Amino acid sequence: MSREQDSLVVCEQCGMAHRWRPLARASIARCVRCEAVLGRGHRLPLTTILSLTITATVIFLFAISSDVLSLDMRGVAKATTLPGAIATTWDDGQEIVAVVAAITALVAPALFLALRLYVLVPLAIGTVPRGFALCVRLLHQAGRWNMVEVFTIGVLLSLVRLSSLADAVPGPGLFALGAVMLLFAKIESAGLKHLWWHV
Amino acid sequence: MNAGAVPLDDPDRPPVLGCESCGLTSANALAGAASERPGGTGLIQRCPRCGHVLHARKPMSVQRTWACVVAAAVLYVPANVLPIMMTVSALQRDEHTLIGGIRELWIDGSWGLSVIVFIASIAVPVLKIGVLGLLAWTSQHAQTWRRLERAKLYRLIEAVGHWSMLDVYVVILLAATIRFGPLANVQAGPGLLAFAAVVVLTMLGTYAFDPKLIWDDPKPAVRRAAVPNDAGDAGHAGRSA
Repeated sequence: MSREQDSLVVCEQCGMAHRWRPLARASIARCVRCEAVLGRGHRLPLTTILSLTITATVIFLFAISSDVLSLDMRGVAKATTLPGAIATTWDDGQEIVAVVAAITALVAPALFLALRLYVLVPLAIGTVPRGFALCVRLLHQAGRWNMVEVFTIGVLLSLVRLSSLADAVPGPGLFALGAVMLLFAKIESAGLKHLWWHV
Repeated sequence: MNAGAVPLDDPDRPPVLGCESCGLTSANALAGAASERPGGTGLIQRCPRCGHVLHARKPMSVQRTWACVVAAAVLYVPANVLPIMMTVSALQRDEHTLIGGIRELWIDGSWGLSVIVFIASIAVPVLKIGVLGLLAWTSQHAQTWRRLERAKLYRLIEAVGHWSMLDVYVVILLAATIRFGPLANVQAGPGLLAFAAVVVLTMLGTYAFDPKLIWDDPKPAVRRAAVPNDAGDAGHAGRSA
């Protein structure tokens, strides 16, 4: 499924209107005025996006429930999970920082996955879920504030800085986060507007 | 222009609006002088397919961008001066600032890492504050200046903006991991709050700015000369009174 030929496409970045022409695979249509991307010639099928989302959800649940790194200092071991690090920040009296970290590394990625599942499963079997329009709008916001990839690099950086103090070991959660990061990038490349072509 | 889309430059066609949420194109029902009044008309147009609000330009875009830029620039000072992290042990208490952390990495020989942290924590926030200020200023005072470059700058800060959160995550991870009672403890410092606020504010500023403003033409002087029209209205009102 794709955009109809000759339908009007307005550039999101500069507002210029264009007539749509079908694209060859792997080519990109750009705005003639500001060179922003208008559309792409390839689309992941809905079922592919759904299966990627299911995979990402399973790995994400594993990533947030297992240790991202652990430290051994003179026989005393200390391991950290993503929610654990946020809870410690809250307990230390840095509530606002804890909330910002929770929204960007936990809530936004969780919504990114949960809302996609809620929307994609019904679409794949040919129905439209309740509150579809609202979900797509929320997904747009979840995508903007999702920083799971930044958090993953943050864990790597912390590991390097800790290794100068003691035995720092990457946990299974870090590898899971790495996988989640790649899956998110692939899912996000499909965009959101195409969801409306299935309604 | 081969690839996909042909521009539409038919001056007689009424302006169209693209829905940001679903991509559907609609005719601008509020086009014309009425919708260009500074205070707006109080009317809103919604996308007929998904119900998302459509507007030709984001409302109060420049004002909201300035508010975020100024707030971020002010908070950038405590973010750099106050410690973002404290190392506490029975013997000593060390405070680390943003720059100090980068310098420590550099001295330790982790040059690559210190460059990454420098880019994420210093270069990106400064770039965002500077570019947003430039975009907000030029959209009112130098509307035709280097439009394509400004459009690309906007897309750049939109794409890299969230990477400055990196140091916030590193500090909370170190603070959560280094918990060894009297031996060694790491705590987040007050500078971290200011720095997190700078990151969030610059992101809000980026989303508040409407890149379409870059392509708006300067208001013709004729608009200033709307006085005779006003006078005419006043005269009319006077007559009917």
